[in-house]
Amino acid sequence: MGLARAGIWLALLLVWELAWRWGLPQYILGPLEILKHFFAALGSQELYGHIGASLARSLPGFAVGAVLGIALGLAAGVGRGFDRMLSPVIFLTYPVPKIVMLPVFMLWFGIGDLSKILIIALACFYPVFINAYYGVKATPTILVWSGLNMGAGRWQIFRRVVVPSAAPMIFSGLRVSLALSFIVMFATEMINARSGLGHLIRDAENSLRFDLMYVSLASIAILGYAGDQLLLLGRHRLLAWQGEPA
Amino acid sequence: MRFVFIGIALLAWETAARSGLWSPLLFPSLERILRELMLFLSSGESLMQAWVSLYRAFAGFTLAAVAGVAAGILMGRSRFLASLLDPLFSGTYAVPKLALFPIFIFIFGLGSLSKIALVFLECLYPIVIITYHGARDVNRVLLWSAQNLGATRGAILRRIVIPAAAPHIFAGFRVALPVAMIVVVITEMISSTDGLGYLVIYSMSSLKTDRMLAVVVVISLVGLLLDWALVQLRDRLVYWEKLETYYV
Repeated sequence: MGLARAGIWLALLLVWELAWRWGLPQYILGPLEILKHFFAALGSQELYGHIGASLARSLPGFAVGAVLGIALGLAAGVGRGFDRMLSPVIFLTYPVPKIVMLPVFMLWFGIGDLSKILIIALACFYPVFINAYYGVKATPTILVWSGLNMGAGRWQIFRRVVVPSAAPMIFSGLRVSLALSFIVMFATEMINARSGLGHLIRDAENSLRFDLMYVSLASIAILGYAGDQLLLLGRHRLLAWQGEPA
Repeated sequence: MRFVFIGIALLAWETAARSGLWSPLLFPSLERILRELMLFLSSGESLMQAWVSLYRAFAGFTLAAVAGVAAGILMGRSRFLASLLDPLFSGTYAVPKLALFPIFIFIFGLGSLSKIALVFLECLYPIVIITYHGARDVNRVLLWSAQNLGATRGAILRRIVIPAAAPHIFAGFRVALPVAMIVVVITEMISSTDGLGYLVIYSMSSLKTDRMLAVVVVISLVGLLLDWALVQLRDRLVYWEKLETYYV
């Protein structure tokens, strides 16, 4: 499997590089060329500033959305009254593209970072909430009964039975949300920002700096991949008793 | 009881708008939004813009559905293809494909094509991955029985693999369809001269907040309607398996 994995990547890169040497349009660079520009950019201060600005938007947004999503999702999964009040609103607004609220948020909270962080938080909230909610709902009843039989209190059952049972679902929600946070961050920066990777790619596009476009693209790709791997590592450590995700 | 929250939210909005604390430019009343909504729905030109967005979302989604289901089923039934394609999809899954949009603009131009291409790419991932898992986990006893009874490969695919994977395929569609709308709106907000996303940005730039919110309502309704229609279609086609999700 490892060999096939490396093989397909190498073959793809080789075809790409050869096609580039054969002569592709100016706006498509070869992989070696991109690597060269990327390392050149790593040597300069500018790229780190943009990466920092992007992370300063996506990470707080993700954190706020994830914490609220877990808290409210668990609460709605456990409390029936709360469920009946909150869940219809969440499930009704779930298929709505949250990014359309960005202009509204820009009016209310200004065109700075706050409106971007809030829109990222809003987008990240939904997958986490829904997964936490279904995670709680899918708790095997027999485990709850056993807990009750052995004299556990309500709080103990919540902490020792319900939360661990919902944890794998919560992690898959977090995984979706983390990827989403990068997408929304990039989108908000492309729509309106003066810093960040999304701004960098727009700027490069307007000034036909194709090298910078690919540097920005490579940075966001690496960030997205690294974030996902970190989350999987965290899941692996916290949920060692569970199987690996598909 | 179920919609108590929505009622409270609307009421709070209307009170806040009428309190005079904020300018109506920031916080238009529901009445003004509703009026703009009626204006939108009665004007042919606005509906044309909605159609442009829908066309882009549908074109990209349909292409991704056809290619994704085919690729997912092939990967599920052939270990060789899975070992070839799975690393590609799982390796680039967490990478925001939206970053490719500026390059797509150079390749496919500023019009609909670059947007459709991006919708296709973003929708492809969930459909391929979920279909793949569905096609891979088909009950072996069913496959063996069919083989024993002398079914051909084509018959097995048509009569067993596809029906068994159908709930998964629809689960993939249900993830991908909102994604299609999101990508269309985002790309229209970033660079476009038509479509609903463009209308949102245009109304905001001309400080027509009530019109902007009306378009936001239209986009939300379209998103809801598409999801509802997909669930209806699923319940007709996959009638033997109940959908375990929340119905509002």
